[in-house]
Amino acid sequence: MGYHHKKAGILTCTLLASVVLASCSFAPSGTGPEGSPIPKETGDTVEAASGSDDAVNSAVDFDHELDQYEPKKDHYNFYFTYKIVHPWWDAVALGMEDAQRKFLEKGITITYEYMAPEAASAEDQARRLLEVRDRDFDVIGVDVADEEIISPILDDMVDSGFKVMTFSSSDAAEGCKRIAYVGNTHNYQDGADLTEALCKKLGYKGKVAVLVGSVGAPCHEDRARGAKDTIARYSDMSIVATEYDMDSVDNAYNLTKKILADTPDLDGIICCNMSNPVGAARAVTETGSDTVIVGMDHDQEALHYLKDGIIYCLGVQDCYSIGFDTLQNAVKIADGNKPGELFREKTDEITTVIYQEDAAIMLELLYGDN
Amino acid sequence: MSVVFVNTLISTRQTASATNEAVAEVSSFYLEAMADRCAKTIMNLINSNFEQMEKAVDLIIDEEIGSEEELREAIGSLTSLLSLDRFALVDTDNIVYTQYTTYTGGSRHAFLSDDTMDKRYISTVSIYGSSKQLCLAAPTPDFEIAGKHYKASFVQIDVNEILDLLAFEDAGGTYFGLYSKNGENLSGTKLGSFISQHNLLETVKEVIPEESWNEHCDNFSNAVEGSITYTVNGTDETLCYVPVEGTDWMMVVLISDSVIQNRIRSISGRSLSTSRRQIAFILIFSFILLLVLLLMMKILSKKDLDTFRNMANTDSMTGVRNKLAYSEMETLLDQRIRENAIEKLAVVVCDVNGLKQVNDTLGHTAGDELIKEASSLICGHFTHGAVYRIGGDEFVVILQDRVCDTLHEEIDKINREIEENMEKNKVVIAIGYSELTPEDRLVHEIFERADQMMYKRKAQLKQMGSPTGSDRAM
Repeated sequence: MGYHHKKAGILTCTLLASVVLASCSFAPSGTGPEGSPIPKETGDTVEAASGSDDAVNSAVDFDHELDQYEPKKDHYNFYFTYKIVHPWWDAVALGMEDAQRKFLEKGITITYEYMAPEAASAEDQARRLLEVRDRDFDVIGVDVADEEIISPILDDMVDSGFKVMTFSSSDAAEGCKRIAYVGNTHNYQDGADLTEALCKKLGYKGKVAVLVGSVGAPCHEDRARGAKDTIARYSDMSIVATEYDMDSVDNAYNLTKKILADTPDLDGIICCNMSNPVGAARAVTETGSDTVIVGMDHDQEALHYLKDGIIYCLGVQDCYSIGFDTLQNAVKIADGNKPGELFREKTDEITTVIYQEDAAIMLELLYGDN
Repeated sequence: MSVVFVNTLISTRQTASATNEAVAEVSSFYLEAMADRCAKTIMNLINSNFEQMEKAVDLIIDEEIGSEEELREAIGSLTSLLSLDRFALVDTDNIVYTQYTTYTGGSRHAFLSDDTMDKRYISTVSIYGSSKQLCLAAPTPDFEIAGKHYKASFVQIDVNEILDLLAFEDAGGTYFGLYSKNGENLSGTKLGSFISQHNLLETVKEVIPEESWNEHCDNFSNAVEGSITYTVNGTDETLCYVPVEGTDWMMVVLISDSVIQNRIRSISGRSLSTSRRQIAFILIFSFILLLVLLLMMKILSKKDLDTFRNMANTDSMTGVRNKLAYSEMETLLDQRIRENAIEKLAVVVCDVNGLKQVNDTLGHTAGDELIKEASSLICGHFTHGAVYRIGGDEFVVILQDRVCDTLHEEIDKINREIEENMEKNKVVIAIGYSELTPEDRLVHEIFERADQMMYKRKAQLKQMGSPTGSDRAM
C-alpha cells in the first residue's frame, strides 16, 4: 500500500504542478519562495508549492496499511544495521515499528534488531555483518556505510544463503547481489536540486562550500556529486571547500566556522546530510553571516532555522514510509519472494524540497511543534 | 404598583450583579481545584509507573534469564501483566531491549545522553510523526543478565492516554490540555475555540495586557500556578494552570463562558424568573382589582353614594346626623356666612339631663333608651331643622331661613313638654339657642352663645327639681 500511496502522492503533486504551471507558464520552472510558487517534481524530488499544506503534508506519509500479501510464517526475526546512531534513522525505526504493530494485529510476530555504531564506520558495519552470520535471522537489512567495503560482504552473504536487503539512505554498489533496496534512489538528484535552488537564489554567481556526512556513505557522496556537477554548470559559481562532518552536528558547526573564517565572503553552503544544516545554521547564526544554506532532512532544529529564515530550503525524505516498507518487504523476502509483482527491486521514496513558508506546517506534522 | 415595579427592577439588577461576582469567584475556584486534581492524577500515574517498573525489574532478576529471547519474553509478559506502556531496558551500551525489538537508542532517548543514571528521569519526548510522550526512566543499579549490565528501565506514555485518564472529569464546555514551559501544546487537544491547539502563551498575548502576559510567562517558566481571564468575541474565558510536579508540564483547565457561570446563571435566572412571574401576577391582579372597583363605583348610582355618605354621617343609635355631619355642615355654613349668602340661621343646643346617672345606676341599655327618647323629642319639635348628635348626651339643631321664624315658639313648646316630663319622670333636656347676628363670622360663635344659654337652662331645671334619671321607670 505504501508504494501505491506514494505513487498517488507523486501523481497528485505532478497534477498540481501541471495545473499551476499551466496557469503561470511565464514563470521560470522551480522558482522558490521568492519567485512564483511553482511546485516542481524532478525525478523523485518534489518541490513543495510554497505555503501549500497538501504538498507539505504529502512529504511524509504516516498513514500506512499493510498490503494484501499473506505471510507464510507467524514469526519472523530480522537484523538491520545502519550507518550511525542518529535521529534520521530513529524516524525510519518508527515506520518499522508501525509495520511491526500492524503485522502483530494480523497475528504475525516480528522481532528484530536495529543496530548502528555511535560513529559512522564501514569497518564496524562489516564486523556486525560478520557476527550475524552466526545467528538465526530471516533477513538481514543493511544501510550501506561504504559501498566499496560493504557490497562485497553482502555478495558473499547472499552466496552463503543469507537473505540480504538494503534499506533507508544508501544502497549497495551497482551489481551487488542484495535482493532489494527500500529507500532513497535519487540522492544524486536531491543534491542537484538543492544546489540548483541555491544557485538560483544567488543569481548563479558566488562562492559555495559543500558539507558532506560520512566518507564513502553512498547517499552523502551521491548528493555531493549532484551538488558539484550542478555548480560546475555555472561559470560564475565556485566551490571553495568540501568537508565531511562524519554525521556530527558539532563537527558541522566547527567546519562551517572554519570555512567562514577562511572565506568571509562565502555565499552559500550545500549540506548533504541531516547533521550538516544544523551545524552550519548554528555557525552562521553565531557569526552573523548572510550565507545561504540549503540542506537535507527533517531535523527539528533545522526546521526551526528554516522557519526563521536562516536556512533557505530543506530536502525532506519520507523516513516513515521507508521504515514501514522496509519491514513489509523484509517479510516477503524472508518468504523467498523475489522482486517483481510483490515488491520492487528499488523503491521510489520521495524527497520534498520545502521552504520557509512550509516550515511551520512541517514542524507541526512531524513533531506536533506549535 | 409603581413602587413594587421599581423595587422589583432594582432587586433584579442587584441580584444579577451579585450573581456575576459570585460566578467569577466560584469559576476560578472550581478551575483551580479541577486543574490541581488533574495534576495530582498525573503525578499518581507517574509514581505508579515508577513503582511498576521497579517491580518489573525485580521480577526479571528473579527469572534468571539466560538469553535475549528469554529477556524479550519476560519484558513482554511483564508489560502486559503490569500494564506498562512500552516498557524497555537499556544496557550500558545504550542498546534498548523491548518486547519485539532491540535497537541502539542513543539518539532516540534523551536520558541516555548521560553515561550513568543515578536518579529517576522524567521528560517529554517529541516523537517524529506522532503525539508527544512522557518518558519515565529509572536507574537499575547492579542489574545484570548473562554478564550484561543494564543501567535503566523506562516506559513511554502517550500524552493522549494520560488525557484519556482525565476525560472522566471532563464536562461539556470544559477543556483540558498539557503544555510545556513555553506554552507549547503537548497534548494536541483543543483548549476551547480561541486557543485551540496553538501555543497558549503566544495566543493569549493578543488578548491580555503585556504586563500580565509577562507574569504568566514567568509563571510557566518557573512552574508557578496561576489563572488567566480574557474576553474573546464578547465571551469571557477563564483558564487555570497548575504545574505537574516532577515534570516540566503545566496542566491547564479552561472553561469557555463557564459551565459554572451558565449553571449559576441558569439557577439564578430561574429564581429571578419565578420572582418576576409572582410580582407580575400581583401587579396584574391588583390592576384587575382596581379596574373592578372603578367599574363598580361607576355602576353605583348617586343615590347609593348618598346612602353611603348618609351612613357615614348618621348616628347609628338615634338615626339623626352625627358629629361628622355637623362638622361638614359647620364648614359649609361658615363659608356661606363669609359670603353673606345666608340670611337667617339659628343654633339650638340640647343636653340630656341625668344620662350619666342612668348609665351608672340602670345600665347602658337604659342610657341608650334615654338618648333615643331625647332624640325623638327634639326631632318631633324641630321637624324642619337638621338634628345632630354631637356628643353622648348632646344634640344640636340647625335651623335656616324661614324655619327660624318659629324658633321661639318651638322652644317654648319643647320646654313646656320637658317641664311636664319632669313630673312624669321622662326625659329632661336643657335647651339653649341663638341666632345669627351681623357680627357673627362663624357658626361656632352662635353655638357658643347657645351653649351658654343651655347651661343656664340646665341650672334652672335643676332648681326646678329635674330628676337625675336614676329613678326613671324602665
